[in-house]
Amino acid sequence: MDKVVINLVWLYPDILNLHGERGSVQAFQRVCENLGITINIKRVNEYSEKIDFKNTDIIFCPPGELKVIYDIKEAISKQMDELKEYIDARKYFITIGTTGCLLAKETIRENGEKIEGLGIFDMTCKERKTVIGDDLHFVIEKTKQEIIGSQIQMIDYELNNQEPLGTIIYGYGNNNTSKEGARVKNVIFTNCLGPVFVKNPWWAENIVMNVALNKMNIYNENEYELENKSFTSTKKFIKEKPKQI
Amino acid sequence: MKFIMKIPFHITLLVGKAVANIAKLVDKKRGTNISGKIATALCNDFVKHFKNIDFSKVIMVTGTNGKSTTTNLIAHTIKQSNRKTATNGEGANMMGGVATTLIKNSTLTGKFNKEFLVLEIDERSLPSIYKVLPAKNLVITNLQKDQVQRNGDPDFIYRKFAEVINKDIVLFLNNEEPRSKGLEDKAGQVIYFSVNKNDESFNKSNFYDITMPCPKCNHIIKYEYFNLESIGKFYCTNCNYSSEEKPDIYVSNIDSEGNKIICNNETYSITYNTPFYIYNYAATVSVSKKIGLTEEEINQGFKTFVNPGERREILKYKDKVIHYLRMKQENPETLQSALDTVAKDKTEKAIFIGLYEVKDFLPYYSNTFYFYDCNFKDIANTPVEKYIVFSKTVCYDTANRIIYDGADPSKIEIYDYEEDISVILKKMDDIKTKNIYILTGMKPYSNIKNFLAEEEKANG
Repeated sequence: MDKVVINLVWLYPDILNLHGERGSVQAFQRVCENLGITINIKRVNEYSEKIDFKNTDIIFCPPGELKVIYDIKEAISKQMDELKEYIDARKYFITIGTTGCLLAKETIRENGEKIEGLGIFDMTCKERKTVIGDDLHFVIEKTKQEIIGSQIQMIDYELNNQEPLGTIIYGYGNNNTSKEGARVKNVIFTNCLGPVFVKNPWWAENIVMNVALNKMNIYNENEYELENKSFTSTKKFIKEKPKQI
Repeated sequence: MKFIMKIPFHITLLVGKAVANIAKLVDKKRGTNISGKIATALCNDFVKHFKNIDFSKVIMVTGTNGKSTTTNLIAHTIKQSNRKTATNGEGANMMGGVATTLIKNSTLTGKFNKEFLVLEIDERSLPSIYKVLPAKNLVITNLQKDQVQRNGDPDFIYRKFAEVINKDIVLFLNNEEPRSKGLEDKAGQVIYFSVNKNDESFNKSNFYDITMPCPKCNHIIKYEYFNLESIGKFYCTNCNYSSEEKPDIYVSNIDSEGNKIICNNETYSITYNTPFYIYNYAATVSVSKKIGLTEEEINQGFKTFVNPGERREILKYKDKVIHYLRMKQENPETLQSALDTVAKDKTEKAIFIGLYEVKDFLPYYSNTFYFYDCNFKDIANTPVEKYIVFSKTVCYDTANRIIYDGADPSKIEIYDYEEDISVILKKMDDIKTKNIYILTGMKPYSNIKNFLAEEEKANG
């Protein structure tokens, strides 16, 4: 069997330069090395550079200042059809912190200005007047993995008809409800910093394994769909059942 | 109505003066801004009511790093030229601190009794302070990542500055710091201070090195070279934004051994010769020239300046020499500056690193991500006998960060302690090298210093 090679695109590293999240790219490199998987990491630096969606497995988008989101959206919009195919192929597109706005429908800035997003998530965002910095602990709904880190919240995220990424155990999450992040197929948004994949290498490992197994055509990601639904419904049943006296 | 407003101000001023005097009697070291805090709580726009302030002689100094040192240096230099000067050099840089400075430097009727007023201003407080004290001179040392729990990202502070700057202001800007220089279009006059490429300058070309977005067009900023972390001769890859080719104040040469700089063809004697200080000296020359000080007067100030907030200290403990490098939490530049200092030492060493959880205000939290805005690689490439990593909670993250940049895990010892410094420092006796570095904040360092002093005392 051919050796698996994973291709990761690190999107706009100089422009999306906040909160040390370049460390997460290093974490993917380390996890792949530990698993004996070859990883090619490619920086896409300029807005004018085309993203090679066809030959990419993971796109990593670190957090950046909100003012750059419009330019990024404009750049990626030029390859919208390729992005849709990429998403339908269940490849990974990961956004951290403020960059979640890129995938939302729109963001309302503090001065009332509206920034349109790519509309991948049914989510609206509102820039906060004050910053919230706190720890963040949540569980990813799909895999039941616990993730820990911190968050610097400058934007509140309102999920409309949108699946969250996870459920909060401690922290503010999207908007101080129990919801953290968002997910459509393998397009993922989380508020969690750390760098998130440095502090939670098991999450990076899970993503890398999914990519590797999919490439080898030996794993169906939806294999545990019924078990997942069972887990959620049983959890709900336990939570809602009358207490024993 | 005006008359009514004056009564509360004058009463408040008397209360403030009384509190300031009592605070001074109780404890000379404490009570820095207590009188101002009370006064601003009692009287709306308290600072606005002081008279006899010539706003063209008010100099505000703000920015992420170096504002305390630059404020102290400017104030000291003006004072040395025999011009009466008031300053909040003790670091009380919010509204209460400014009010305290005015209380201490005014008559009983609220007339400011000095010629110059030099103020360090907290970045977030600048809009509210400028509203009541419209200084005509504003120095911005730099605008970098810092205290994200309060400031979010640098653009959050950029927008605070942009609210204030107008055509009535003379802006003193760092020619090699892209973000703050981006504010240039908003001021009436801009004076750029600059430092030439020198022996300490460096380049970055590693795969994981990153820069920043252009403050004007959001494309990429690139550097021809760096004089400090994220400070160096720069240009935008898209628009024509760049460092000025002919800055107003230009340190062309640094003689580190002779402790001299050549700035605009004039030679100045300096006490501190690290790259960071050179920018502080350049900023001070720019302000001093603007207000009319002569080269001799500036030189006199520089020669006699001693920084009360020096971030480096050397201690001796038994046969060990301990280099203490203070860093500010959540401030990658000060951590990087400390790391660079250690990396320059190519001899065998032991490094004690205490990066802590953030406990400035509630909620406390465990920020570990700013470690990854810094590079530890250069340290890992020097001979290190041991890394002693200490602090509660985030010590494991610290160790992991060092390993990520190539340190040998077998050389790292982790101590999950907060208060029991003795356990950590007993390690010092086991270490063979006499060359010790401690990188941590002020509070843990004070604990270490006290412990070592007691040990020395006990051992005679």
